[in-house]
Amino acid sequence: MGRYLIRRLNLFLATTLALFIILFVATRWFPADLSYALSGVALPTTQQQLQIEQDYALHSNVISQFLAYVTERLSGNFGISVTSRQSVLNELAGVLPPSFELAFVAGIIALLCGIPLGMLSALSRSKMVQKTIMAATLTGYSIPVFWLGLLLSLWFGIELGLLPISGQINLLYQIPKVTGFMLFDTLLYNGDYKWNAFADVLAHIILPACTLAVLPFTVVVRITRAAMLNVMNQTYIRAAEARGLPYHTIVLKHALPNALIPLLKHLGLMLGPFASYAIVVEVIFSWPGVGAWLVSGIYQRDYTVIQAGIFAVALVIIFFSILIEVLYTAANPMSRKEMYGTN
Amino acid sequence: MPLLDIRNLTIELDTPQGPAKALEKVSLTINAGEMHGLIGESGSGRSLLARAILGIQDPSWHITADRMMWDGKNLMEMTRLQRRSLMGDEISMIFQDPSGSFNPTYTIGKQLLEAIPVANKWAFWRHTRDKRLTAQKWLHKVGIKNPRKVLNSYPWELSEGECQKVMIAMALAKQPRLLIADEPTASMEPATQAQIYRLLMQLNQLQNVTVLLISHELDTLANWCNRMTVLYSGQVMESGPTSELLAQPNHPYTKALLDNMPDYDLAALHKKLMPTLPGSVPALRHLPIGCRLGPRCPEARRQCVNQPVLSHYKDRYYACHFPYHTEVPDDDLLA
Amino acid sequence: MGRTKLYLDDDIPSHSKRVWRLFAAKPQALIGLWGVVILLLLSCFGPYIAPYAAEYQDQSALLMPPSWSNQGAVSHFLGTDDLGRDIFSRLLHGAQYTFGVALLVVISALFAGVIIGSISGMMRGLKSSILGHLLDALLSIPSLLMAILVVAVTGPGLSNVFWAVGISLTPQFVRSIHQTVHDELQKEYVTAATLDGANPLQIFWYVIMPNVWDTVIIQTTLAMSAAILDIAALGFLNLGAQAPMPEWGSMIMQGLDNFLFAPWTVTIPGISILLSVLAVNLVGDGLRSALAPMRN
Repeated sequence: MGRYLIRRLNLFLATTLALFIILFVATRWFPADLSYALSGVALPTTQQQLQIEQDYALHSNVISQFLAYVTERLSGNFGISVTSRQSVLNELAGVLPPSFELAFVAGIIALLCGIPLGMLSALSRSKMVQKTIMAATLTGYSIPVFWLGLLLSLWFGIELGLLPISGQINLLYQIPKVTGFMLFDTLLYNGDYKWNAFADVLAHIILPACTLAVLPFTVVVRITRAAMLNVMNQTYIRAAEARGLPYHTIVLKHALPNALIPLLKHLGLMLGPFASYAIVVEVIFSWPGVGAWLVSGIYQRDYTVIQAGIFAVALVIIFFSILIEVLYTAANPMSRKEMYGTN
Repeated sequence: MPLLDIRNLTIELDTPQGPAKALEKVSLTINAGEMHGLIGESGSGRSLLARAILGIQDPSWHITADRMMWDGKNLMEMTRLQRRSLMGDEISMIFQDPSGSFNPTYTIGKQLLEAIPVANKWAFWRHTRDKRLTAQKWLHKVGIKNPRKVLNSYPWELSEGECQKVMIAMALAKQPRLLIADEPTASMEPATQAQIYRLLMQLNQLQNVTVLLISHELDTLANWCNRMTVLYSGQVMESGPTSELLAQPNHPYTKALLDNMPDYDLAALHKKLMPTLPGSVPALRHLPIGCRLGPRCPEARRQCVNQPVLSHYKDRYYACHFPYHTEVPDDDLLA
Repeated sequence: MGRTKLYLDDDIPSHSKRVWRLFAAKPQALIGLWGVVILLLLSCFGPYIAPYAAEYQDQSALLMPPSWSNQGAVSHFLGTDDLGRDIFSRLLHGAQYTFGVALLVVISALFAGVIIGSISGMMRGLKSSILGHLLDALLSIPSLLMAILVVAVTGPGLSNVFWAVGISLTPQFVRSIHQTVHDELQKEYVTAATLDGANPLQIFWYVIMPNVWDTVIIQTTLAMSAAILDIAALGFLNLGAQAPMPEWGSMIMQGLDNFLFAPWTVTIPGISILLSVLAVNLVGDGLRSALAPMRN
């Protein structure tokens, strides 16, 4: 197990390095002055210019430039944003938590609805139920997310007037940012309108989270179904039946854990598309997250923001996909089977 | 009263080519305390029959039977729940793929403990410990030397033979009256095979467990069973006490099976043909009408397009229009 | 005269024939196939059958609802947008941008992916894992972020969308092909072919490739639906096709201003995106279930 963890850590480091290389090369191709693209300082004073050239080793060869680039970025210097003149790192710290919050809620919705529905469609005897669920998931898989978001905000936000369609919280509530996660911040806040604010935050997150949940939800349903069908045909399920165990014990104790293992693996592969969708959803619902921040960065040709945003999101995805892989190995005694007897 | 009495069981399967009768009018009688062998080639519906007795069915099966009695109770009229409680409690089954019959994500112990009934319902704090002790006792009984270690290991860490022994222990934990062993020794070495069979034999004699032993090897069944039923392509060919069946088969198929057994005592002629039936087992889609052995049978005549009824002669049953008889029915002719 | 079948021979169909039979047995897969064929035809001949030019502005019919509404007219079948452009014609013109470009992107990515994937799959050891893991890094950048990066370098435009989506799709092809080739290499029949004296090229082409095509086909349909959605999303974010272009995603973006009182300017392009992705997914689903029994 220790060797395995070290191998995964190596993979993480190698992928991060590759990510740095990609960003470094892209930065040099940006249609702007290199020192501007690196630092975000539009009209540097002579002193600033010298400082930038020294920081990024602009006068030496490419290798030391790359090393300087990596050093700067790892020490937290992402330059300043062109538009807001703020440090990019601070802005990044402000926009990451709302994104995590949205993604987390959407993921929970997808898993909580998707797994039971997948099981239902796998275990249901009725062809009707199966076909309805499969048709619904295929449609959900094909819906363009931006269009779905627009339609939902039109129906629920404007025509029915039930839910707010933009932002994270009504601007009237002044909630001090402690964790950045609004759901926690409102709970931590001790004021007269604590619960109103919490309800408001909840109301704000429903539409974007549901929109974002559609894709993972459909994938979860389909994979749970496929895995469940596969597991229910195994000999050990029949053996469990022959032992006279009740049906729900067989499904919940023997079939479900085995079916969730492939689901875990697919969740890791789904992170990329999920992040893409999250960006679009954040733009539509004006969610103050990293996606909307990035897109506004590109509208304004804010190169430092683009680099930092891409770096942060890709790093998060790399981290989580490797984490899921490790969890998969840890949760799955079968993967120990492969190691069993090898060392 | 026989323990299990089945008359004219027919199972129809839904195949892409339409329904096919995988089992046709199968009758089987198992008396309490006997070791009953069920022999048939693969695809003859042995496992289907076993699963139908136990009551694990697929939705694509259509089961009809004139009679299916378990110890005087009608299995056909039972609800799913009653069948389920019968499984495990009174009828147990072990499968031909022992290591695949364990859930790979749980340890052996966890799965074995599931099968063990609690002795004292109210002393819940002692349940786990009691169950563990019982589990160890059973594992010891089936001949596992280090039960504690086996309880804590995952199924893939054990050999096939050990897995099968645990499987038997698990099947016995609820002390069933009938144990169905579906090819319990497939893919095992001869020494382990012998161990497993001896174990089943012991259980039969010491614990009074009735065993339905399913196999395709006539010689192993002949060694261990009191009675045998021969199945071919979903029809019962012949049934009777092993010794009589071996001494004088009534049915051409049984005779062919006996002839197939290599005889090491007599020197065979060089390049002599193996005595086998011509042709091959029909596929499920192209089953012949009437007696399914018909196209391959050396004795086949015109009547064979009608399925013969299971005739009864002394202790033996056979389904053939032209059986081989030892005793000439009319003794007067000899005189 | 009908041929009397004397013997109940099972004719054993070839692989492709069997896949086709299983595929055609599902009506929804055939509907999807028809949809894809129609989309293909539209992306080739759409501009010729469109009643109006893509940029033609009918000043007398601004924001006209679709023809089934009371205010609609048959001359503008699906209504017009705020500049009086016929939405139906724009959809027909836009098919080549959304579906056609997606197809081109997928074919190029497929080509690059098959080459890189099979080379890295056939190699063993460090070289293979370096190639594989570099692409893992690319794969971890979501397609939209990749597009943003490309747009940041080259500026918005449909040709840049081609590169952006292509670069983000290629690693998926490489990864799945690499994996399949690698798995096939472990199997016994490859060893058998090696013992028969086949050289690596022969092994690759005659032994491994026939088993990889199934994966390639499935991956292609997956990539196709992803590509359509990505191109439309980029158009919607105004990072892809630019304003007057009738690309479906950018049509939605252009209709956004009038969303409240003329929702058809948004819903109709959206439905056409949904239907085309659905058609591709139906084909992909049908193929997957048709190939599944053979892959196991």
